[in-house]
Amino acid sequence: MAEVGRLAICLALLFAAYAVGAAVVGARRRSAAVVRSAEHAAYAAFALVAVATAVLLHALLTHDFSLEYVAAYSSSTLPTRYTVAALWGGQQGSLLFWAFMLTLFTTIVQLQNRERNRVLMPWVTATLMVTAVFFLGLLTFIANPFERLPVPAAEGQDLNPLLQNYWMMIHPPSLYTGYVSASVPFAFAIAALAAGRLGDQWIRTVRRWALFSWAFLTLGNLLGARWAYEVLGWGGYWAWDPVENAAFMPWLVSTAYLHSVMIQEKKDMLRVWNMVLVLLTFTLTIFGTFLTRSGVISSVHSFTQSGLGPYFIGFLAMVIAISLGLVIYRLPELRTHATVESFLSRESAFLFNNLMLVGIAFAVFWGTVFPVLSEWVRGVKITVGPPFFNRVNAPLGVALLFLTGVGPVIAWRRASPRNLWRAFAVPVGAGLVAALALAIARVPFGYAFATFALGCFVLGTVGQEFWRGVRARQAMLRESAPRALTRLVGKNRRRYGGYIIHVGVVAVFVGIAASSAFRIEAQKTLRTGEEMDAGKFRLRYERITTAEDAHVSRLQAIVSVWLDGRQIATLAPEKRFYKKPQQPTTEVAMRSTLGEDLYLVLGSYDPPSGLATILAYVNPLVSWLWIGGIVMAIGTVITMWPSAAERRAPAYELGGARVPAE
Amino acid sequence: MRAAGAALAVLLVAAPLLAATQQEIEEALTCQCGCGLTVHACNHLQCPSAEPMKKEIAEHLARGEDKETIIAAFRERYGEKVLSAPTFHGFNWLAWITPFAAVLSGGVGVALVIRRWTRRGTPPPPTPPPAAANDDLRRRLERELNELDREG
Repeated sequence: MAEVGRLAICLALLFAAYAVGAAVVGARRRSAAVVRSAEHAAYAAFALVAVATAVLLHALLTHDFSLEYVAAYSSSTLPTRYTVAALWGGQQGSLLFWAFMLTLFTTIVQLQNRERNRVLMPWVTATLMVTAVFFLGLLTFIANPFERLPVPAAEGQDLNPLLQNYWMMIHPPSLYTGYVSASVPFAFAIAALAAGRLGDQWIRTVRRWALFSWAFLTLGNLLGARWAYEVLGWGGYWAWDPVENAAFMPWLVSTAYLHSVMIQEKKDMLRVWNMVLVLLTFTLTIFGTFLTRSGVISSVHSFTQSGLGPYFIGFLAMVIAISLGLVIYRLPELRTHATVESFLSRESAFLFNNLMLVGIAFAVFWGTVFPVLSEWVRGVKITVGPPFFNRVNAPLGVALLFLTGVGPVIAWRRASPRNLWRAFAVPVGAGLVAALALAIARVPFGYAFATFALGCFVLGTVGQEFWRGVRARQAMLRESAPRALTRLVGKNRRRYGGYIIHVGVVAVFVGIAASSAFRIEAQKTLRTGEEMDAGKFRLRYERITTAEDAHVSRLQAIVSVWLDGRQIATLAPEKRFYKKPQQPTTEVAMRSTLGEDLYLVLGSYDPPSGLATILAYVNPLVSWLWIGGIVMAIGTVITMWPSAAERRAPAYELGGARVPAE
Repeated sequence: MRAAGAALAVLLVAAPLLAATQQEIEEALTCQCGCGLTVHACNHLQCPSAEPMKKEIAEHLARGEDKETIIAAFRERYGEKVLSAPTFHGFNWLAWITPFAAVLSGGVGVALVIRRWTRRGTPPPPTPPPAAANDDLRRRLERELNELDREG
């Protein structure tokens, strides 16, 4: 069976390679038949990769421990859901999963564009298939997921216990989806450059893909934070680990693109810049994969280290060289007559928003690679840890939050004093009132203070937009308020979906600021029946309980939580000892409310004396991070939902007879 | 009596101060177990690195040493990599300054570009409409503006 998988990967590599060649030849000779042949080869590659993925999944589910991969990342006692997750839990499997997603997206893009974008499509197919060739090449020659062990193992070594978690089931797939779907806008950008179709046709085509990719990057990052929060048990959700940074950077650049592309759509300027952002997003996804895979920079994510680093560096170099080369080659045609009338305009607000987003991305990149740089230049290993990233990014983040409020409401072209008053009086008022309230509540002045006040300012801009829109409809069309609201959003999905995303962003910002600035920590070693304080809570260590199954043994401390003399909860922080990779893990116990999380960790337990060390964290407003994520997801869905007009839109590029958009 | 009172006051103030310094020092140092977290954040069960380091910091503090001395002692032993963030000296200065320098020069660049664009022969700014004479006019303006946005 495994041989079928191996064969499928080898054949997929051949088909992908053929697709690259045929697509390029077809594009140059303008032969529709050859281009179709390339597309068919890409479909075949997808089918074959799907077969290989199914074979590996089957091997995992049937516990075929004659396969090295299955023996290394699963066991017969591993719960089925984690056995499925083992598909992306290890090196070879995750590469195969990547190839699967990539060929799947290629298939979807080709089907979407059977009758459209016929000038661009061969280059799109070629670009996507070059990437597929890279990954399939790794799977064929370097990291074969179907490698047999010389002697079949009796039992597997099991999946890393840290990965045996609900969030781990969905965090990597969503991040991969975000990463891999970033290849689609990239492929269209390359195609636009290669074919010299530099108008906004390609941009309109990839709008949904860019949003889709961005949405899954957002989700992947937040789910990763959630995983870290629940599993790593250090009371935080983000440690500026190199791999977290690797997932964060493409998100930042992709966010910058989604904003600046609006200026191109509206005013046909910033063509070069948008091109660069799309190319950079993809480059950063490959860089991120390189970081995870290479072990060049030490990281908690080094679950799957290997010698793949040089290959990724090579591929990265090729991507950068081709991208840069094409941009420079097309530079004369990419230049447009840009006009901005004033510093006080939406155009310039968006430019500064881009500066901040790309600036933060650069700061994160710089901090991530600086240890390597230091070792090269000085020969001294240094650490660039969370204190660095927090100090550098906090001011930039606050500036970005401010621009989040300015961008959507400031006038295009030139904001007159009257427009500024009309747009900002209420939001600035909201921000000032919030600042006053915070000052009265004696919130210390600092980044958290600024974040809360600016958050209210941003909410003010959004609230005002909704209010005015609804009022206008009510006045003109005599609609009821709820009807006016749904119609308003329904008829301007991009605009109001975007506002809703901004509300989610504010919630995330507030959650981060509050939990960073005002967390309370307490740690105490307790005997049964003894108590400790954690902020406003009183904790009593009641007893210890144990449980055991074939897979894991558990040690639970039962802790009652008291507030104002009343018991409000019983929590059970837990230590687990996994049997296969003999490794202890921490299972956090949490009481989450909108106001704060009480987060308990069982630090240690000494059976002879019965002493247990309890670590307690009170993390204010952490829930708002996850709520913000959900709001952002809702906003994104609204933004992406096709409008009735779009659904009726005819395919305007039949049979390659294309009307140039530029 | 007054001296004793003063000593008590110092002690009362010193206890939380000591705790605060302990945490500050723990946050300034990186755990050497490979977790990549600071000594303060690492909570590995009986971590072979963070636990002894925490204990040692407490001992140093009890002896009355100050933050800088204690951090220097750890740096002496483990090398610069034990610090959780780059120092502000020499080459490391670049770590701190570059992001801000990049954003600032980017800001100047953006400002210059906008200025150049504003100076190009742009059409004269449209004459602002006279202050809305009445509510009907204002409403109509709002509606048309909304429609314009919708189209965009």
